[in-house]
Amino acid sequence: MKRFGKRSFTLLLLSCLMLISAACSNSPTTGETTAAAGSEPSKEPVKVVWWHSMSGELGTVADKLISDFNAAHEDIQVEGVFQGTYDESLNKLKASLGSNSGPTMIQVYEIGSRFMMDTKAIRPVQDFMDAEQYDISSLEPNIKNYYTFDDKLYSMPFNSSNPILYYNKDAFKAAGLDPENPPKTYEEVAEAAKALTKGNQAGASFAIYGWFMEQFLANQGVELLNNGNGRTSPATASQVNSPAGVKTLEWWKQMVDDKVLLNLGRKTDDTKKAFAAGQIAMTLDSTASLRGIVSAAEGKFEVGTGFLPKPADGGDGGVIIGGASLWLMNNKSEEEQQAAWEFMKYLAEPQTQAYWHVNTGYFPVTTKAYEEELVKENLEKYPQFQTAVDQLHQTTANLATQGAVMGVFPEARQLTETAIEEVLNGQKTPQEALDKAASEISSKIETYNKTVK
Amino acid sequence: MIMEKEFTLPSPGHSLTPSVSEAQASNETKPVSIKKTKRKEIMLAYACLAPSLLIFGLFLFYPLLKSVYLSLFLTDPQGRVAEFVGMDNFREILTSEMFYKSFGNTLLFILLTVPTGIAAAVLLAALTHNKLKGMKVFRFIFSLPMAVSVGTGSMIWMILYHPTLGVLNYFLSLVGTQPIQWLTDPKWAMISIALMTVWMNLGFNYILMLSGMQGVSEDIYDSTKIDGSGPFRTFFRITMPLISPTLFFTSVVSVIGAFQAFGQINILTKGGPMNSTNVMVFNIYQDAFVNFRFGIGSAQALILFAIILLLTVFQFKFVEKKVHYQ
Repeated sequence: MKRFGKRSFTLLLLSCLMLISAACSNSPTTGETTAAAGSEPSKEPVKVVWWHSMSGELGTVADKLISDFNAAHEDIQVEGVFQGTYDESLNKLKASLGSNSGPTMIQVYEIGSRFMMDTKAIRPVQDFMDAEQYDISSLEPNIKNYYTFDDKLYSMPFNSSNPILYYNKDAFKAAGLDPENPPKTYEEVAEAAKALTKGNQAGASFAIYGWFMEQFLANQGVELLNNGNGRTSPATASQVNSPAGVKTLEWWKQMVDDKVLLNLGRKTDDTKKAFAAGQIAMTLDSTASLRGIVSAAEGKFEVGTGFLPKPADGGDGGVIIGGASLWLMNNKSEEEQQAAWEFMKYLAEPQTQAYWHVNTGYFPVTTKAYEEELVKENLEKYPQFQTAVDQLHQTTANLATQGAVMGVFPEARQLTETAIEEVLNGQKTPQEALDKAASEISSKIETYNKTVK
Repeated sequence: MIMEKEFTLPSPGHSLTPSVSEAQASNETKPVSIKKTKRKEIMLAYACLAPSLLIFGLFLFYPLLKSVYLSLFLTDPQGRVAEFVGMDNFREILTSEMFYKSFGNTLLFILLTVPTGIAAAVLLAALTHNKLKGMKVFRFIFSLPMAVSVGTGSMIWMILYHPTLGVLNYFLSLVGTQPIQWLTDPKWAMISIALMTVWMNLGFNYILMLSGMQGVSEDIYDSTKIDGSGPFRTFFRITMPLISPTLFFTSVVSVIGAFQAFGQINILTKGGPMNSTNVMVFNIYQDAFVNFRFGIGSAQALILFAIILLLTVFQFKFVEKKVHYQ
């Protein structure tokens, strides 16, 4: 009896060990099989896994694009996997690096570009473009500029947006302002906000979002980082505390003090809801929100759109292209990468981009899309889209509007947002808060540069 | 009471000693078989322990050792070990303003949630303790928050706290007061999170308190009644001391729980505004899993571990003396 007990315990132990070792060895085995399947000249379609961050309506449109592509390509099967927000998706990618569990291609937000290059786990799309003389002359120049590093296009632009001013035309009329002439400068916005503040309606509300701060600086032609915004050589210091930044926060804070601008926190979702409910008359948001905002306000009031404001004496600049691009991972078989590149090309086609633009509010990444009938019709139906397109095309191309690059962008945004909060809550002056943020961001950049070789 | 312990503790020892000496005595006659049985027994013991040791080792001790290791290094943006820095991570933490701020926030959070949470639970338990008709309905309602997960609870409160469309601000507007920016005003954010947490923990605390009170024998209450003690006196002089083991247990668990509060902060404020709700655990999460600096994250986690350990030892050493065990 006892001997039997001992043996069964040993068995139990052994089986425990086997379970664990089986679990550990699981991933390499599957890796081998996929590699083997990839090299076999069979008629099995090549599977491409695409991690994206398009949820809700955007996700539905993305799924439609995928199924259309799959229907048209027998030999390629794209599988779209929603991986949460851009931050979450990038974190999952980080965790998968060094293993085979990652995707073939991934959608990464614009500020993750430096990081993606530094991982050295990606394949620049330029390789494929050079190989087949892919024509990129029709790519939207500003968008191309953003994703070009060392004269190379590292990733394929996919969805691009920028911030615009949304305003309530009915409220403008009621306040005696010209609803067809939105405020363009900081001064005009402040004045309009005063006129618009009545009873339950506040003049404006901007979400405390680091992205807006980056855009305000670029709009005045000011670089966010040293070394040419981190583009001539890796950045070493933040310049968020430049006079342009200070001026922006002074303007923002003054409107809070005058009680004409509500502070609704960091979420653009909250400002969007308040705007749709008629509780604020002006707000800033991405062009990608246009469809949603216009339909939320339908039947209640008319939505107008204007350029991102800048100080009357601000320098020449424009908006930085926001949004995301598609990156190819280099640890998959050549065949799989080629298939992913086919899909990327499909996504950049004028027809695809026209459909994407009309249904989401993101810009077409190719200028040819504007010739599509679909886009023309849409601009007639939603003239508000025109503002976004004009704002993009009127942007002066320079290092400031090309956009900053640094590996610690998400953290830099958090720190900038904290600085804005400190100012709006009257804890620090704009100069103090931004000086502190700049020095903290600089020290994060320093640590980052130390670990990337 | 301590005397009692001292008396009871050695007893298993006493019973053991004769058997050991017996074994020694029989050792001389049959030395091999006894040794064998003993070894067998030890083997059996380890075999029985093995599964749990294995799991503990895999999921507790290994990660702990790994964080000690990581805390001595810088990691690159992918989270891979890049450079040995010795105690630099600890030095950086202990000299950073953020660490002390998050520590202060954590203490404030404990102060706001633990005593209030326990007091609310005791109050509700005392009110629903007596056997009246329909009391079961109230017991059910009061323990209901326990069935709500942190995620769901946070979403509910996020809607309640919404700056422009929330119900709480709507009620305030009915009374005629200015709306409160629950989650975006640094003065209010921590209070809002604490309020939500007290509600979240109420169910569990309430059940503990109620069972503590149910455990007090009816005879005691009967004799206090005969002695002419009023309800308040009975409550403070009889009930409270008798449920003190439950109170102690709840306070230890609540303090540890408060140290580890994360979900509601991640969902409601993300540590903001102005880091006013950035507690230690959230700071660790941000450093390790958002910014991928595992070195500094691990170092912070170890510091937090030390703090909780010290605090729990303190609670057991000093606070437990005031506990009345029956």
